[in-house]
Amino acid sequence: MSVIIFGLASVLMLSVIAGLIRVERGPNPADRMLAAQLFGTTGVAILLLLAEAMEVPALRDVALVFALLAAMAAVAFVKRAWHPGPSEKGGGPS
Amino acid sequence: MPTRELASRIDRIVQLLQRVVIFAVLWWVIAEADPDGWLFGVPFVALAVVASLGLTPSRTWRIDPPGALKYAWYFVTQSFLGGIDVALRAIRPSLPLDPMIVRYRMRLAPEHARVLFADTVSLLPGTLSTGFEDDSLTLHVLDCELPIEQSLRDVEERVAGVFGLTLSSEGGDLRVCETLTGDECE
Amino acid sequence: MIDAISIALIIVGALFFLAGSAGVLRFPDVYTRLHALTKADNLGLGFVVLGLSLRADSWVVVLKMLIIWALVIVAGATAGHLVAEAARTSHVVPWRRRS
Repeated sequence: MSVIIFGLASVLMLSVIAGLIRVERGPNPADRMLAAQLFGTTGVAILLLLAEAMEVPALRDVALVFALLAAMAAVAFVKRAWHPGPSEKGGGPS
Repeated sequence: MPTRELASRIDRIVQLLQRVVIFAVLWWVIAEADPDGWLFGVPFVALAVVASLGLTPSRTWRIDPPGALKYAWYFVTQSFLGGIDVALRAIRPSLPLDPMIVRYRMRLAPEHARVLFADTVSLLPGTLSTGFEDDSLTLHVLDCELPIEQSLRDVEERVAGVFGLTLSSEGGDLRVCETLTGDECE
Repeated sequence: MIDAISIALIIVGALFFLAGSAGVLRFPDVYTRLHALTKADNLGLGFVVLGLSLRADSWVVVLKMLIIWALVIVAGATAGHLVAEAARTSHVVPWRRRS
């Protein structure tokens, strides 16, 4: 049974790859921040699955820390990291 | 001792005890009920209580349990629909999107209720909150065909129910923003 | 039986994650991508937590996963709001179908 859960956790890695592609493409800092949020949520799901499949309860604590850090990262990004220029272009598919 | 002072002192003690209980339960859950966890738990619960008293010295709101239950049920069903809606739009080849920016005049006045309103709206079908301006919430809408105004009014009523608030008779209406950044609305 | 339902729920959760990621890749601007991320991923995590809850050894583990989910939901919705606001105030123009 835990093999199936391992498999599903690796399916979620596809989601992380999608986030990596978005980080690479941008086009603006907000898109990259959004990808970081995706890592946070998907990471939490993967860790919860692994905690069950590997029977390592401590991974649930790692998931909790992931959730907290993703929230902090978003706030830090908005407050500190992104000093937007007056005419940043973001529209259009990329 | 004047009764008012006594009442406020009792109120402070009740709030302190409430926070101790909340953080202790949280710790108990995080430690997965491991009794050894209390070695770290007791000091950290104390620190959390001190930090929370420093950040919000007195709670000015209350929760109405029946209203909170109604809200919870509404939230679960609507956020389910919201997830399905956006998932279908994401996988359909035609990419059915027709976004617009709108500004909604809120009937909720207290800040805590407005924050809950904005967070709730972001998880419902087709709406994403993108900032407060005075009494208005600016939203990004995925598809201008969606019945946004009615659902925003519904959410607002449920949020008011959580805190036992009455809505202002002013507001509750929606304007479509013509400039794309929402600087000016019609 | 319980095992089968649990796995089915986790699969549904994974599908929502994949749909959300499809949105993050395919949607035309940061605002629409935030819609996909906040709504689909939070629902996906909800299904994963629900599925794992059926297999959990104790109630306290279920509660812990629900707390993590609640935290992710609140953080996700608030972060989405903040990132969208930052994009709007820096004049990232929303994509439109017309014109």
